[in-house]
Amino acid sequence: MKNVTGNLQRDLEALKRILPAEDILTFSFASEEIDFACVFADPITDKELLGEQVVRPLLRYTGERKAEAVKKKLTSPEVKTERSLQTLAEEVLAGNPVLLWEGADEGIVAGTKKVFIRAIAEPSMDVAVKGPREGFIEDVKVNTSLVRRRLKTPELRIEMMKLGRRSDTFVAVCYLEGTSVKKTVEDVKKKLSAIDIDVIPDSSYLTHFLSSRPFSLLKQVGTTEKPDIFCAKIAEGRVGLIVDGSPIALTVPYLLVEDFQSAEDYFVPPYRATFTRLLRLFALIVAVYLPAFYVAAQLFKLQLFPVRLLLTIAGSIRDIPLSPSLEMLLVLLVLEVLNEASIRMPKYVGMALSVVGALVLGETAVSAGFVSTPAIIIIAFSGIGLYAVPNLIEQTSVLRLVMLLVAGSVGTYGIILVTAFLLLYLATAENFGAPVLAPFAPMLGRDLRDSLVKYNLGSLPMRPKTLKSPNRRRLK
Amino acid sequence: MKKISPRQLFFFLACIAPVGKLVLMPSRLVVEAKNDLLFPALVGFAVQTGVVFCVLLLAKRGESFADMLAATFGKIAAKVLLCVFAAFLLFAAFLPLLEQKLFVQSAFYDTLPSVVTFAPFFLFSAYLCAKPLGSLGRIWDILAPVSIVGFAGIMLLSVGSADYGALLPAGAAGAGGFWRGLAAAASWFFDGALLLPFLGKIDYRRGTAWKGALAYAAGGVAVLFFLATFYGVFAEIALNQPFAFTKTSKYFSGITVLGRIDYLFSYALALVMAFFVALPVQACVDCVKQAFGAPKYLPAALSVLLNLGLFFLALGLDYRFVEIMQVFAQTLFWIFPVFCVAVPLLCLLLRRSHASQ
Amino acid sequence: MRLNKFLKTVPMKLYAILAAIVLLAFFSNDFGLVDIQKTAIILAVGIDKTEQGVALTSQIAVPKGSDRTTGGTSSVEIRTENATVSDCISDLQARTGWVPKLVFCNLILLGEEAAHEDVAEYLNYFLRNEYMSDSCLLAVCEGTAEEAISSQSALDDASSLAITKLFSDSSEKSGTVMKNTLKDFSIGYYGVSQSSYLPFIRTYVQEGAQGAQQSGGSGGGGQGEEQKIYGAEETAIFSAGRMVALLPKEQTLAFSMLKGNVYAGTFNTEEKGEIVTLTVLKDEGNVSLSMDGAPQAKLSLDVQVRLCCRGSAAPIEDVSTDRVPDEALKNAEETLRGYVADLFENCKKSGCDLFEFKRMLYRSSLRKYAEWKDTLLASLTAAVETRVTSLK
Repeated sequence: MKNVTGNLQRDLEALKRILPAEDILTFSFASEEIDFACVFADPITDKELLGEQVVRPLLRYTGERKAEAVKKKLTSPEVKTERSLQTLAEEVLAGNPVLLWEGADEGIVAGTKKVFIRAIAEPSMDVAVKGPREGFIEDVKVNTSLVRRRLKTPELRIEMMKLGRRSDTFVAVCYLEGTSVKKTVEDVKKKLSAIDIDVIPDSSYLTHFLSSRPFSLLKQVGTTEKPDIFCAKIAEGRVGLIVDGSPIALTVPYLLVEDFQSAEDYFVPPYRATFTRLLRLFALIVAVYLPAFYVAAQLFKLQLFPVRLLLTIAGSIRDIPLSPSLEMLLVLLVLEVLNEASIRMPKYVGMALSVVGALVLGETAVSAGFVSTPAIIIIAFSGIGLYAVPNLIEQTSVLRLVMLLVAGSVGTYGIILVTAFLLLYLATAENFGAPVLAPFAPMLGRDLRDSLVKYNLGSLPMRPKTLKSPNRRRLK
Repeated sequence: MKKISPRQLFFFLACIAPVGKLVLMPSRLVVEAKNDLLFPALVGFAVQTGVVFCVLLLAKRGESFADMLAATFGKIAAKVLLCVFAAFLLFAAFLPLLEQKLFVQSAFYDTLPSVVTFAPFFLFSAYLCAKPLGSLGRIWDILAPVSIVGFAGIMLLSVGSADYGALLPAGAAGAGGFWRGLAAAASWFFDGALLLPFLGKIDYRRGTAWKGALAYAAGGVAVLFFLATFYGVFAEIALNQPFAFTKTSKYFSGITVLGRIDYLFSYALALVMAFFVALPVQACVDCVKQAFGAPKYLPAALSVLLNLGLFFLALGLDYRFVEIMQVFAQTLFWIFPVFCVAVPLLCLLLRRSHASQ
Repeated sequence: MRLNKFLKTVPMKLYAILAAIVLLAFFSNDFGLVDIQKTAIILAVGIDKTEQGVALTSQIAVPKGSDRTTGGTSSVEIRTENATVSDCISDLQARTGWVPKLVFCNLILLGEEAAHEDVAEYLNYFLRNEYMSDSCLLAVCEGTAEEAISSQSALDDASSLAITKLFSDSSEKSGTVMKNTLKDFSIGYYGVSQSSYLPFIRTYVQEGAQGAQQSGGSGGGGQGEEQKIYGAEETAIFSAGRMVALLPKEQTLAFSMLKGNVYAGTFNTEEKGEIVTLTVLKDEGNVSLSMDGAPQAKLSLDVQVRLCCRGSAAPIEDVSTDRVPDEALKNAEETLRGYVADLFENCKKSGCDLFEFKRMLYRSSLRKYAEWKDTLLASLTAAVETRVTSLK
């Protein structure tokens, strides 16, 4: 590995060979005695700071040529010296300009990178009417600062790791020493260290590597966009991961019940929190099962309808050319397409999409006799219900489709069997030593107090037993 | 290895094991014992409660069934005995499986469906059987409340339509009816034997044995209450009412307005039943695993093979259920007392393995 | 090593195969099952005796299509005749192409002639059918069941829906009908008493109304056909499955009262030679059997009533009170006693063990049952007790 030689021309050429990209620029200037050159990545270096903190102080420099002496003249708070040209090149790519000069024994790295960050805003998914509105942004430092601001304890550990051969993405592993299980922390770090991938563009990449069952349909890593939820989870004994470039933080171990809880549940009276949690579960069950049961009932078990409702349904589907199962599948696919399009479509055509979706596809399809009104109602209700638990959308929408296909194939018994499969799968699944279905399976009495039901805070003196925290008491 | 906690075991004994007795057993009992159907069932439960107590006493040793057999009879003989016991479990699994198939065809369809519609059950069963027995504890935690809600819902909708006086006069069927009823019901009372493969997988704590027996007895009381209600609802025509638990609740007055809401409860019990019906096959796989160690893919391969075999058997014997039931009740009924009462009791005499000593 | 690699990919391959099977099953969708579009939803069946065997009139719901501006349920009635009920059902499928589903059949109507045979001959098909609900209503009708089922109701789109309305809870509480279901009738039939009852339906022409609004009915719903209303105040009683007598409406009321069903029913009595109508507020009926010496039935009624109406003009002081005068109470007791005694005699004469005395005896003593089972009904005497009190 090449080091800085002191021959400015030769050092610059060596650096340029490592960084041949056109946006890597070299700025040369001279003090009264020494010729300097500054190598920097144009788009990500703050040139104003570079001029103020690096160039200006050196214009009248007359002292020694040793790096330590030059470094003292710079006014930048983040300055370090480095001998290896390869490391210097990496710093340039990180946005930190590298200073070289004739006769230098080392290069100087100045921390004047340009930081493009958006303002801290309310996240689009984890919305709380009551409670903090802050959300994570894409910068790991800002995000860790949000965490640090909430957990002002020396026990909070934020360990930085660099992942991605080419992206060098910072990943902050956050946990509370003495509260998190050591083995979990070590397992997380071990799994992260084992990742040998070139680029980590987002935290979602890590979920794959943290999962014990990578092909599983079901979630195995918790996600949140809100620092208050992140801190609460860490305080319970979980390990959190913040990935540079991603506003979505990860937490492990993940329990299914987490996604039925919202931050707001802790800011409203417990009976209201219990009600909304049960409502979320109900909405999710209805959303996943309703289309399937509707189809199964029409195909295989008419008795599931009261007679008058059956006659209404029979009337509405009389002229429909498709079988009940195909009709429902068609409507479901249309909903998924609309859903997908409405997320990706530019905002100014969004209105047009609503009109096309609601009127053209909905009203006209019914009038034209392609689909029946009850099918539209069922899918509409299911579509809304799914969003009662937004963090599980990816899983539940697939599950709904599976249920529908099975219901259309073997009927209600198929639905029961898929449910049995699902329960068995979930009940036997573990995530960093914690059972995914806890506190229901295994049933943990005290943990049930903050599961689908919510007791008041006074009744929750202990951390969840599921997480096996060495420091269980949180309320004294 | 995961162990089953006492709570999970109690859930199984009180809430899951009784569910298998709500399908065809009630009408079979009525055929043989008429309005005296409670007596054979009571005796069946009483005997099995005792057996459950004894098996749980064995669980106190913390040794597996295979270890105890090996300590007493030697390794080779233990393998043979385990295979024989596995064969019995497979035999015991057969009737509930066929019963489940008929129940599914009746309760989940409006017209008689093709037998293939029951095939997915074997997929599920194969998946379940590949799992170790010890992992069942958590699923029992989930199924117990489902079972309680399902059973309570059905009973709530049913009791209003029941005339419990129909159970009178006691003893009308005579001793003959009682014995025939006992023989007919024998094939449903194998819970004590079912626990033997669980030995060594139960996290035994003080009092687990008698609490377990009490839990089983509580489940038995619930079944007896159901049987009484069943006969109270149907009286003389009860013998013509298979799939009892889907029938008793349909006379609830609200059903005409709301539709068959009782099916929600029946389906909840069907979910529990799917696990219970596959359990003997799973226990059979476990016995073979205990006998021959545990090569990595043995349980999966064996469970696929067994379930495939059972599927074809169910397919082949599609219309012979009545004959099969008669064979079980009249010719082969003695197998159940032997394996479900005598064998577990004799197990108390088994030696402890050297490791535990 | 190679085996391990293969085994690792097995789950994914299995998933793929499973997904392919599910998709195939979903799109082919054929396990010999019948979906809603191929189904004839039978709302009611009428059964008549014919020379060939049985005539089955099925009332089938006909969906009105997505344009539901007219509302309601239209129906079509199809008659099939063959040796057994099962054959008739098969004929129905053969002639319509629809697969008949009986799960929603809520009424089985027996023609008068059929009711005089052992009705188990007609009903056993429904009891055997696993996909038929035995909670459906069972009734006998005047004339043929085909006429009743095919008649055009003045009150509802389908005659069966109009008939089932007669058996509402409020009608039952008024004591004007005694409804029965297939299950309860079967329990009576197969029980030791071998007796039961069914409501007897008469059809009346609705004066001044002519049917023109029905569009779907084809069997009997022609233009200009008379519209009908239905009544079920009488009760047919059965012994050994045969209809043996008809209870007039007074005896139906008495039977209902003895069962303790009546909470808002009315009956007439006299006071000073004038008719007064009393409303039953509380009804405690009891039937018991005493085997001390000769068998004796004890039929008792304890009824609380209020004054509902007089057959003549009354002063405002009288209108403002619900209290029933003593004379009327006394007469009411007599009236009810007469109803109950007539009911008992009617049953005894026809050999119908309507109150299930045999069952009572069977449940209380097997020995005495064995002794009396053939002669009990004939040797039974009745002690009727009635007590009518007024609302204070």
